[in-house]
Amino acid sequence: MNITVIWTLAQKELRDALRNRWFLLYTAAFVGLSLALSYMSLAGAGIAGFAGFGRTAASLINLVLLIIPLMALTVGAQSLAHEQEQGTLAYLLAQPVTRVEVFAGKYLGLAMSLLASVGLGFGIAGVVLAISDGAGSPAAYVGLMGRTYLLSLAMLSVGVLVSAMSKRAGVAIGGGLFLWLAFVFLGDLGLMGTALTMRLSVGQLLWLSLLNPLQVFKMAAILDINATLDLLGPAGIYAMQEYGQRLRIIFLALMAAWIVLPALAAYARFQRRGDF
Amino acid sequence: MTKRLPSSVSNIKIVLATLLASGLILLALQMHAFASDRETTQCGHATLQAMIDAAQPGDALLVPAGVYAGPIQIDKPLTLEGQLWPVIQGDGQGHVVVITAPNVTLRGFVVRGSGASLDREDSAIRVSAPNSVIENNRIEDALFGVYLERAADSVVRGNTIYGMDLPISRRGDGLKIFYSPRTLVEGNVMRNTRDAILWYSPDSPVRGNDFADGRYGLHLMQSDRHVIEENILRNNSVGVYVMYGSGFELRRNLIINNRGPSGYGVGLKEANDVLLEGNRILSNRVGVYSDGSPLRPGSTVTYRNNLFAYNEIGLEMLPNTERNRFRDNIFLDNGQQVTVAGGGDLLRNEWAMEGRGNYWSDYAGFDADGDAIGDLPYAAKSLYDTLTGVHPELRLFQLSPAVDALDLAAKAFPLFAPQPRLSDPAPLMQPPALPPTPGLEPAPTTANLLVALTMVAAALFIVWTGRRGLRGRRNANVGKTHRATARS
Repeated sequence: MNITVIWTLAQKELRDALRNRWFLLYTAAFVGLSLALSYMSLAGAGIAGFAGFGRTAASLINLVLLIIPLMALTVGAQSLAHEQEQGTLAYLLAQPVTRVEVFAGKYLGLAMSLLASVGLGFGIAGVVLAISDGAGSPAAYVGLMGRTYLLSLAMLSVGVLVSAMSKRAGVAIGGGLFLWLAFVFLGDLGLMGTALTMRLSVGQLLWLSLLNPLQVFKMAAILDINATLDLLGPAGIYAMQEYGQRLRIIFLALMAAWIVLPALAAYARFQRRGDF
Repeated sequence: MTKRLPSSVSNIKIVLATLLASGLILLALQMHAFASDRETTQCGHATLQAMIDAAQPGDALLVPAGVYAGPIQIDKPLTLEGQLWPVIQGDGQGHVVVITAPNVTLRGFVVRGSGASLDREDSAIRVSAPNSVIENNRIEDALFGVYLERAADSVVRGNTIYGMDLPISRRGDGLKIFYSPRTLVEGNVMRNTRDAILWYSPDSPVRGNDFADGRYGLHLMQSDRHVIEENILRNNSVGVYVMYGSGFELRRNLIINNRGPSGYGVGLKEANDVLLEGNRILSNRVGVYSDGSPLRPGSTVTYRNNLFAYNEIGLEMLPNTERNRFRDNIFLDNGQQVTVAGGGDLLRNEWAMEGRGNYWSDYAGFDADGDAIGDLPYAAKSLYDTLTGVHPELRLFQLSPAVDALDLAAKAFPLFAPQPRLSDPAPLMQPPALPPTPGLEPAPTTANLLVALTMVAAALFIVWTGRRGLRGRRNANVGKTHRATARS
């Protein structure tokens, strides 16, 4: 593995991402929506004072849950399959670079482009919030952005895995979109229905929902901002009493698993495939 | 600052002695009797009790700085005034100051070191006689802070009360007012204790206090006719809990960040004739929890000009609550604005008075006739809110986009739409102005701005890195490919 080669490939990937219309569109949407959201949350900033960040953050969490997985999944799903379809991947692999370097370079470049996107969204919204005294503590805001970034990495890994398993870019993007639907809507709705029909205990409900990285992100962000999970009702209170501050570690570990495992699986697939 | 004063006493002993001498002359004749005692008090021995024993009823004693051993018993009407924060140090057992006579004033002392027995209710200042004045004292390391029992017409004003560093279940009440009607509780600061509780003490105003980091910020039990004004109740489990009584006026309080499994900003349990006006109720788990209030036929609970903002639940009521009246309140961005615990509706309350309703941040109507009142009623009928009323465990999905999808589906397919839980016939288009409350903190604007700008800068730097790669790519890549070739 050669770091300079990886860095060069990452720069190329970053450059491609900046030219990619999908990506620009998502970034613009994320920036625009977070801006609109912070602007709307300012209605109460004057009458409520410093206390207002909780709800702004809550709306931001809602927005992040919707947009970030969509962005990261489609960007990840495009990555390998698209280049393979165009034939550029075969050309790249014919160069004196190893598959590890190609994979790592791609991942790094996409991760950097996601960081730029998340940073722009949070940064611009943060300027508006700060100027109008709608923001809370700086640490909470940075924490929320950090967790958002981790979520985007997890979704990127899943997207890359889909990409490595697809032969065509169209199939990969379709798969990515389906996964987005599953993570954002179907999973939660299904679990709600299951909880009602099967009479799940709060512990079972908590752990089943934690299989979804979006829920992990959501709970971790709420824990950061509120210092408790009582917003989440009985299951949240159960989690606090059962695991207490260990929850932070649990959330971090789950998120790390969602980042690392799909990425490793994607690499294993990429390494074995003969048709690239 | 107050803590340092006792130690700096030796430096100004002479000044003090002069002051005292003149003070003593001005005071009653009896004071001379213990002029010799005063010498020994400065050695820090237990002579405060001797001073008290020697004084005549009605005397005013100026107590110089120093450390006096407790416990102290005051059994005659006296005024004790500490100068430069004399310390009454308990021996870690029982009460520190016990007042058993009426018309006693205790002012300007540091009282610390009570026992830690919840059974005996060990207190820093224990009063069991009427007309007492406990003023401007600083109470530290005490299980119970100020404990008034059968001490009617007393004043507890301007004290600072710090509890013991114990788990909340083993702490005592910072302020306990028991069977002491017409007691004024004003301008006290309380931290790290259990409750401030007024029990069977009607007509006691509570004004301008700052109670934080406890269990019940303020707890009123079986007690009538209280005015609760301009207090700050912060970071407790419950801000104000009103249980069993009638005639409560809560005005212009700041009730913020009261959380925990049963955290409420304001709890009303079978309380009658309650008025909440101009309170800011922010960031609590539940802003106001109403359980069987009002209970008595003909009595009401009136909410006027309050701000409910950023609570997980703005207002939670038990089903079939009635005779609650609302006007000019602001319900702003609560996770759920109004819920019914256990399902049911709140339609038997007046959600508007005299043609004016409330401001709802999620109101989606319009105002075609321009009278600042929405033309469509505000109706709360979120399917998810209704579901969580019956199945609270589903609150786990709070903030998930799936919840929005569920509510959208309910709107699109009226088959699933639940019955409205409340209906405000005259919702306001703009939030009404609120009176000021004490204690609102400004946000750290500069720090937030710096953080946000740093984020933008970092993002732009990454973009720039990519752009630079675009321009210098050919040259750089040629070199790197060569190196890579050489390596392989």
